[in-house]
Amino acid sequence: MVNEVCLRTLDLDRPWLLEQYQSRGGYEMLTRILKEKTPPEEIIEEVKKSGLRGRGGAGFPTGLKWSFISRNAPGQKYVVCNSDEGEPGTFKDRDILRYNPHQLVEGMIIAAYAIGATQGYNYIRGEFWEPYERFEAALKEAREAGFLGENLLDSGFDFELHAHLGGGAYVCGEETALLESIEGKKGQPRFKPPFPAHFGLYGRPTIINNTESLASIPMILKEGGPWFADIGVKNSGGSKLFSISGNLNNPGVFEIPMGTPFSELLEMAGGVKGGRKLKAVIPGGSSAPVIPGEQMMDLTMDYDAIAEAGSMLGSGAVIVLDDTNCMVKVLERMSYFYHEESCGQCTPCREGTGWLYRVISRIENGQGRQEDLDLLNDVAARISGRTICALGDAAAGPVAGMLKHFRDEFQYHIDHKKCLVGAG
Amino acid sequence: MVTIEVNGRELKAKAGDMLIEVTDEAGIDIPRFCYHKKLSISASCRQCLVEVKNAPKPLPACATPVMEGMKVFTRSPLALAAQKGTMEFLLINHPLDCPICDQGGECELQDVAVACGSDASRFVEGKRVVPAKNIGPLIATEMTRCIHCTRCVRFGEEIAGIREMGATGRGEHMVIGTYIEKSIDSELSGNIIDLCPVGALTSKPFRFSARAWELTQVEGVAPHDSVGSNLHLHLRSNKVMRVAPKDNESINECWISDRDRFSYQGLYSDDRLTVPKIKQSGEWQDVTWEVALDMAAAGLQEIGEGEQIATLVSPSSTLEELYLAQKVTRGLGSNNIDYRLRQGDFRLDGAEPAFSWLGLKISEIENLNAALLVGSNTRKEQPILAHNLRKAAVSGAKVHFINPLQLELNYTAGQQLTTPAGMVQSLAAVAKALGATGEGAAAKVIDKAVADDDAKAIASALKDADKAAVMLGNIAAAHPDYSILCVLASVVANASGATFGFLAEAANSVGARLAGAMPHLLPGAKVAAEKGLDVMKLQKLPRKGYLLLGAEPGYDFWDAGLTRNALESADLVVALNTHTSPALEAAADIMLPIAAFAETSGTYVNTAGEWQSFRGAVKPLGEARPAWKVLRVLGNLLDQEDCEYTSSEQVRDELASLCEGVMPDNSVGKTESADLQSAVDGLIRIGDVPPYALDSLVRRASALQQTKDAAPAAICINAEEAKKAGLADCDSAVVTQDGREATLPVSIDANIPDGCVRISAGLAGTETLGAQFGEVTLEKA
Amino acid sequence: MNALTNYFKSLFLLELFRGLGVTGRYLFKRKFTVMYPEEKAPVSPRFRGLHAQRRYPNGEERCIACKLCEATCPALAITIEAEPRDDGSRRTTRYDIDLFKCIFCGYCQESCPVDAIVETRLYEYHFENREDSLMTKAKLLAMGDKYESQIAADLEAQAKHR
Repeated sequence: MVNEVCLRTLDLDRPWLLEQYQSRGGYEMLTRILKEKTPPEEIIEEVKKSGLRGRGGAGFPTGLKWSFISRNAPGQKYVVCNSDEGEPGTFKDRDILRYNPHQLVEGMIIAAYAIGATQGYNYIRGEFWEPYERFEAALKEAREAGFLGENLLDSGFDFELHAHLGGGAYVCGEETALLESIEGKKGQPRFKPPFPAHFGLYGRPTIINNTESLASIPMILKEGGPWFADIGVKNSGGSKLFSISGNLNNPGVFEIPMGTPFSELLEMAGGVKGGRKLKAVIPGGSSAPVIPGEQMMDLTMDYDAIAEAGSMLGSGAVIVLDDTNCMVKVLERMSYFYHEESCGQCTPCREGTGWLYRVISRIENGQGRQEDLDLLNDVAARISGRTICALGDAAAGPVAGMLKHFRDEFQYHIDHKKCLVGAG
Repeated sequence: MVTIEVNGRELKAKAGDMLIEVTDEAGIDIPRFCYHKKLSISASCRQCLVEVKNAPKPLPACATPVMEGMKVFTRSPLALAAQKGTMEFLLINHPLDCPICDQGGECELQDVAVACGSDASRFVEGKRVVPAKNIGPLIATEMTRCIHCTRCVRFGEEIAGIREMGATGRGEHMVIGTYIEKSIDSELSGNIIDLCPVGALTSKPFRFSARAWELTQVEGVAPHDSVGSNLHLHLRSNKVMRVAPKDNESINECWISDRDRFSYQGLYSDDRLTVPKIKQSGEWQDVTWEVALDMAAAGLQEIGEGEQIATLVSPSSTLEELYLAQKVTRGLGSNNIDYRLRQGDFRLDGAEPAFSWLGLKISEIENLNAALLVGSNTRKEQPILAHNLRKAAVSGAKVHFINPLQLELNYTAGQQLTTPAGMVQSLAAVAKALGATGEGAAAKVIDKAVADDDAKAIASALKDADKAAVMLGNIAAAHPDYSILCVLASVVANASGATFGFLAEAANSVGARLAGAMPHLLPGAKVAAEKGLDVMKLQKLPRKGYLLLGAEPGYDFWDAGLTRNALESADLVVALNTHTSPALEAAADIMLPIAAFAETSGTYVNTAGEWQSFRGAVKPLGEARPAWKVLRVLGNLLDQEDCEYTSSEQVRDELASLCEGVMPDNSVGKTESADLQSAVDGLIRIGDVPPYALDSLVRRASALQQTKDAAPAAICINAEEAKKAGLADCDSAVVTQDGREATLPVSIDANIPDGCVRISAGLAGTETLGAQFGEVTLEKA
Repeated sequence: MNALTNYFKSLFLLELFRGLGVTGRYLFKRKFTVMYPEEKAPVSPRFRGLHAQRRYPNGEERCIACKLCEATCPALAITIEAEPRDDGSRRTTRYDIDLFKCIFCGYCQESCPVDAIVETRLYEYHFENREDSLMTKAKLLAMGDKYESQIAADLEAQAKHR
């Protein structure tokens, strides 16, 4: 049951080409919808049945998101795909754009049809030059084949899709900052409500979905919502792309059913490098709290199981740490990332991320003080839940998780001014 | 309406209002930095977090709409913890240099820190330092203190209409500034000083000179434009230290123009007249008030014939001063009093409206759907009105201008750029497009006009609008064919169903009419039985005696050269002035120092017809005395009846009773003369008055004089005309007007239409030239 | 009976002799009169005497014209005028302490964020003209320059009490 949905063309030669995609039934679903004039409500209902949850990290049910848009509202509506894959540890959308761009294009056209949008944008991470070129090439092919433009396949439905290369800011992966960025403004998240479904791109109703979510749509409609739901487990339908990295023999992207035990995923990734001991796993990208190795080995990879363990599945970026990794160093690196990537708009995140980084860096460099551990916890608590977007929470989450499970390592750094790992 | 509960107190609120608006209304204090009632909501400072029942997280009160049954706690442990958390974050990178910060004592951050802050910091790392920026002569910056509330940024976008400030950089490296070093040039820029909740943006002229707790606050009314913005004067030891706006929702909301804010510096210039002076055999001597007044009274009486006396008053004078000036003048048997010092066309006298005004309330401007402004640079002339007009334009109103200058506007508007004579034609074309014929001279002009596409566009905009207005500005008032423009504008307004109005020139232009400071009008805007001569005739047919009130020869008159000739040939010139200048010293025989703005009590009638009285805030400098007192004593010395006033309120009340029942009215009669005085063969001068050359006070406000709007006098001409005049590549040229010359630098300016040369009036170097709008010749220097 | 006792007491000058007894006792005890001005009483480092304004070691005056001393002075003895100096720094152009008004409470020293205004241990001063009672900025700085080492030592000594 691997590579069933988004990466199903991976075994083909140059799978990113239109003919290859079509050889596996690509654009059949779109053609059928446009021919039969399937009512949009049916499409949305099918997506709801599939149990597809947003693959970008928040896990919001995709069908529900689509149903918020008032389809009959006059004026322009937009479909936006979020390919600004910036979360440290995540690299799954890159592979969809590289190897199966047409499935994303098809998914976006269907989404546009479902909500009545005629313009779409795919916001691609600024550093993704190769995927961007692949996607542009796919757009060209699709346009030539009549899947994009005016009056698609003589159905009277118009849709144009644009690729937008980002400027290189992590925060633009936040949906409203992404919209601001497309509008040509500084990438800063907007205060919500209003949500994009009512006030989105250029103030118009907009749906924003992750690349993987949109790329799953054609298969969901082709095989039916229940088929997709059955791949996974309850509350976590379908299969999912996991980008597993860290100290592994065979890191990479794996599309596996939701609910697969972590141990199996670890096996696919070739196990821990050098046969060393699994120390900890960050299961959902750098903003997810860390889970100790032993606990992780008993978990399955689905939203509920990971949440119960006190972390989150996020975008499915699994970072594996072994016993040579110093947790203080790991946290220092992550907090530096959030410090650099905070947009600076709201106070707790602008000031707090820098403070966190400095304190952790001080501990790492042997200048920590006893009160610093409580200070870290306190500062993190003062950031989380008080910012405009989730970046503040993302910066605070790892700190709390690390201090919960690996406080002794931090304590050792403070007491001995050196690292526990390798100290014997 | 919905009902919510805040801290156990039940409040009624309009659905959709933000929580903070409701609590502000109810007097419940929630700390905030980024929120400001006149700016868009940014919700970024996170200081106003409050607890809302059933919400999982604390919510920002500024961005949380009220909902029925909402239960809010602003001081609960959760809310307080959130507020304290934010305060700690704000302070970690704030320098805490309160002792050297001008905001100290009136700082929002200080206040909230006392309420929500801790006494010690847990932050031991190095603080962020941001270099200060030079953003011009008005605003001092100390960007390390900035807390990134972005009020100044939003002010620029939303109120001033130019994005001068912005945020660059990300996260902790985010910096508020101009990106490329430049000055902040908005005419409303000073307001960001008030907006800034910390000491990042402070007043440069006020820098380090006083502390908030040393200042006493007195109310005042702005003296530089016809808006009558409400002010707070901040005083310390009998000195005006700075000026801030006073909220008045119907006039200036919470803003004031830079001119009103920084002009106080002129009060303490070296030119200030502080003792009475008389000229004896060409030498000026300081004398006592008794001597000076006796001399003035004797001199005026000596002239004997009433009609040989002329009183020229500045329209920035108070109602009381104007009333007493006309009383003294008429008591001397003369009707020769005029305030229209910058007007050049008096053909409409008698047919023009007596109590002319804006035609609507200031706060109604923003509801207009279309407007046509003729001869107006509102943005510089009446900045607060321009702000209201911009609000209308931004929400979709169609605004058109007919001007001899291309304006830099902060909204989209149609601009017809044409010569002064062309302005008459353009306006007539609009009238024609509306199908109006007009009467008298107007009929002739309209008949000849051709309704082109531009005119039709303006006509249909005015006609289709629900609420439209046609307004005449300061350039129109100084236009050589003002009478024709006025009649045509009235015709256009009537034909399109628009409101017709005047953007009055000075603080008390409207009041001067009510006070009877005109040759053909008595107090209460009643027609005089015997008409005096208008200001132009009073100079062309020189009188023996002149009484000047607040007017500086060379700068405050339509034809500077003519004024000089007239005054210098007179037997006696008594000048009641706040400041002295070489031109005044050359012209006057007696100089009586009078109280300036903030030093005298009085009343201004703004362009919307509102009477606003104010008290003297500080004692007049030196020996200066309020002009109403000087005029009252002069009246006594001249043995005039009913001149026993003991307070300015008495004067005002007497005038008010004369004005009872006088309603503002803009109906214009007809004019018979259709001669275009603005039609010249050669180049015509556009002698607009720059905003910071307006009156004695502003001309001496040193900080304002360093701004971009205070450029020195120059010959501004477009490249084409410069080439024709042989000035394409020379630095300076000689201007000749009415046989008088001046050498001025040449500046190539694409905003000037063909056939015109802009030589602004009121500036040093132009005091020898002629009419503000008149034929000039240029020659290489 | 009482009257009789009193009569004898006054007749034989008993109170006088008792009083002289006290005098006699102290005549032979150790003397503690300080022979001012040849001798001087010890002065605490926290003594609040005549004011001085201090400088930084590089010669820069410390006072930054924050006006907190002026605001806190209960006797309204301090008058300050300030403006930007040529180098843009915040400085006083006038700093007067009226010694006739001053009550030597030390609040000015307490409130000073930069330890600029201090009260020295100097208490011996006099005026010959009325206007001499005004400690001007120049006089204050001169005081500071003269007694800096003593002031610094006193501040050091009292630092732990602040």
